[in-house]
Amino acid sequence: MNRKIWATPFIVWMVIFTLAPIVLVLIYSLTDASGAFTLDNFAAFLDPIYINVLLRSIGMALLCTLICLLIAYPAAYFLSQKDIDKKGVLILLFIIPMWMNFLLRTYAWLTLLESNGLITSAVNRVLSLFGVQQEVRLLYNYGAVLMGMVYNYLPFMMLPLYTVLSKMDRSVIEAAEDLGANRAHVFTRVVFPLSLPGVASGITMVFMPAVTTFVISRLLGGAQFKLFGDLIEQQFLFTGNWNFGSAMSLVMMVLLLVSMGIMNRFGDKEGGGVL
Amino acid sequence: MKKKVSGAGGFFKRAYLGLVLLFLYAPILTLIVFSFNASKSRARWDGFTLDWYIQLFQDSDILSALYVTLAVAVLGAVLATILGTMGAIGIHSMGRFGKGLWMNVANLSMLTPDIVIGVSMMILFIFCKLELGFLTMLLAHVTFNIPYVIFSVLPKLRQMNAHAYEAALDLGASPGQALMKIVVPEIMPGIVSGAILAFTLSLDDFVISFFTTSEVQNLSIMIYSMAKRGINPTINALSTLMFVSVMVLLLVLNKRSSLIEKR
Amino acid sequence: MSVVESTHLIDLMGVSKTFDGETEALKPINLYIRKKEFITLLGPSGCGKTTTLRLIAGFETPTTGRILFEGKDITGVPPYKRRVNTVFQKYALFTHLNVYENIAFGLRLKKRPQAEVDRKVTELLHLVGLDGFGKRTVDRLSGGQQQRVAIARALANEPEVLLLDEPLGALDLKLRKEMQVELKNMQQRLGITFIYVTHDQEEALSMSDTIVVMKDGFIQQIGTPTDVYNEPKNAFVADFIGESNIMRGTMLRDELVEFEGRPFPCVDKGFGENAPVDVVIRPEDVKLTEPEEGQVAGVVQSVVFKGVHYEMMIRTDAFTWMVHSTQCRQVGQRVGLSVIPFDIHIMRRSVTPVEREG
Repeated sequence: MNRKIWATPFIVWMVIFTLAPIVLVLIYSLTDASGAFTLDNFAAFLDPIYINVLLRSIGMALLCTLICLLIAYPAAYFLSQKDIDKKGVLILLFIIPMWMNFLLRTYAWLTLLESNGLITSAVNRVLSLFGVQQEVRLLYNYGAVLMGMVYNYLPFMMLPLYTVLSKMDRSVIEAAEDLGANRAHVFTRVVFPLSLPGVASGITMVFMPAVTTFVISRLLGGAQFKLFGDLIEQQFLFTGNWNFGSAMSLVMMVLLLVSMGIMNRFGDKEGGGVL
Repeated sequence: MKKKVSGAGGFFKRAYLGLVLLFLYAPILTLIVFSFNASKSRARWDGFTLDWYIQLFQDSDILSALYVTLAVAVLGAVLATILGTMGAIGIHSMGRFGKGLWMNVANLSMLTPDIVIGVSMMILFIFCKLELGFLTMLLAHVTFNIPYVIFSVLPKLRQMNAHAYEAALDLGASPGQALMKIVVPEIMPGIVSGAILAFTLSLDDFVISFFTTSEVQNLSIMIYSMAKRGINPTINALSTLMFVSVMVLLLVLNKRSSLIEKR
Repeated sequence: MSVVESTHLIDLMGVSKTFDGETEALKPINLYIRKKEFITLLGPSGCGKTTTLRLIAGFETPTTGRILFEGKDITGVPPYKRRVNTVFQKYALFTHLNVYENIAFGLRLKKRPQAEVDRKVTELLHLVGLDGFGKRTVDRLSGGQQQRVAIARALANEPEVLLLDEPLGALDLKLRKEMQVELKNMQQRLGITFIYVTHDQEEALSMSDTIVVMKDGFIQQIGTPTDVYNEPKNAFVADFIGESNIMRGTMLRDELVEFEGRPFPCVDKGFGENAPVDVVIRPEDVKLTEPEEGQVAGVVQSVVFKGVHYEMMIRTDAFTWMVHSTQCRQVGQRVGLSVIPFDIHIMRRSVTPVEREG
């Protein structure tokens, strides 16, 4: 009668492959190369070089999240109105890119922005018409990385917003109109507050991968442009300082769990969903 | 009068949506178009060719990466589905404490950033003296897929009539029979969507694979290392094929789910 | 009433159930169930009736005590090896199987030949009035039809005992009444034992051979519907089964009880002298008289027409009486009330566990 035993393989697996690695990271972060206990790894992180990278990562991720929200909210709102997207087909077009390999999406931008890419060539041609001879470089800078992030994560903002907006009870809006709210009031007082759970899960779904990425910065920002993810990758794959890398991984985990906790206070679990 | 206003608004809305779609699809479409371009240029059209596709299928590295990607995705999804479904059934019948504990562990694994999962598993494998390669990549994929299966199956278990399992026992089924003949078929939609989710996540993964393998590469790692070296029309061809297969897969799934709804 | 044989089919001996080491759902009870009887476990939610049923089905193991089936101990026998089948409260039909396969489920497990399965399922569909429904999917059926499938499915294994856990709870009133009659007929035709769980006293009274009234994990009373209605053992039973006026009183001596500030002659004895008791009087047993002719007098507070009778609330000095009468009185009118000794039921204040005689 006891069906709990069915969970045993799962439990064993999770203990070995999820909990044990986290414990190992914890141990590495609190020891030095000889294995002795130390807090130096965390102290080293306080160096302005690293703190600046951390702040830049957070800043970029926030900016990316904000831009995604500003682009996606009107789009999701329009799509949720049945007169625009009658059969709910159009929304699929906005979601499909989510299913594409994100390296592929990043690579697509790379081809447009690199020095003889379509956009760069076009910009340079236009500039030369105005007598500007110097060629612009659109790749390997802050803007390129931010652009790549927005492009990559926009669908992740669309989906939860659309889900919550399209499920919204029309009679709530009608009730607000009935009670004398004009269109602006209906939106600010009723629609937007009701859509907050979707906004919250959209923010989580964008901010979380954006703050940890190292691929977008490496491909679109070049070797010199570093984000927090690049630092971790570097410690493990090039510098070989696992202790410092582990400490940084822990900082990142805590950072994310805390921001997740903050967002969860606004959203509910149904707001987005992974699909 | 009113109709006219909404008509103008409708035009504005459509134009806005059109712009967003352009932003989303222009890079991909450009990439596809230039995969058929006769020259290496990404700005000038020099005529149609299939050379890049031919090169692609002659490149043994890319073909073996394709094989690795599919093998890991299929094996990873199957293993994760079995472990995850069993786990969900077990968790579902636990008391409040056990349920909370193990759902939180599954949650933790979903909320941990990919890069942290990647490096922590790398540490584990090296710690256990496991050589990084196909096996370690597969183990990592199973691990990050399991929670997604769990959270696809659990809602179905909750929806299920709490007494259906007991009814089967009551009618003479042994606990194993009741599970296989009643519980599993009833939660099958959850199992299937969990498996599909696991498969696609696995196909898509780069970060975790990147840290848990060395010589053996999947397509994502392949694209990454090629892109770091610069643009290569062969990647365009590869990307086009991947894009088209994802589209076909989604269309098939969509057809299937709308068929199920109609039933 | 059906013919009841004297053999015990099921014995619960000192059976109790405690969940998670703290919630005492069922205090140790003794109960036997006869062959071919329709026995109802009746009580409010949380009284232990469903726990008792689940113990008999084998879904729960008793914390203490033993369960016998035809004299053999089945305490540790798993549900799939017991010769009892259950009709669940919310049906618990298998939604991925059609009506036919739901009913055939038990037979398939026993690897019965297809011809027999066919014959049996057709027979059962006919029994529950669903001829030709075999190919339907179960979630397209109405509540009443799902109920019938659940009954047919439980009967397919030809159980000795059918356990029914509030099977009519989800149906509307009219359908519930029809199903009550049908279930009773079915039980008599099949000649098997029905153990029926409900909180609906009317349902219990109209269907059962025996009613077991339960509260707080204790059995309060066991008896025929007439016994339980006419001779409730305590104030709880009196209140739960039908409507009652329940007053605190003192047994002055045998056949004389004091309440409402005056003595009333009654027929009960053996309570001792000056013993605190509950006095129970059914609303239909109170006679309306002229104010000066009654044993007590009061003022009519409200009158509600109930179809067959008027229901009046009448306030006396000490109590508000509920009276059912075919005569109508005006609100504010002063009336007299009287009760014949036979209709005054005296009960002990304390609630004690009950065992079944015989």
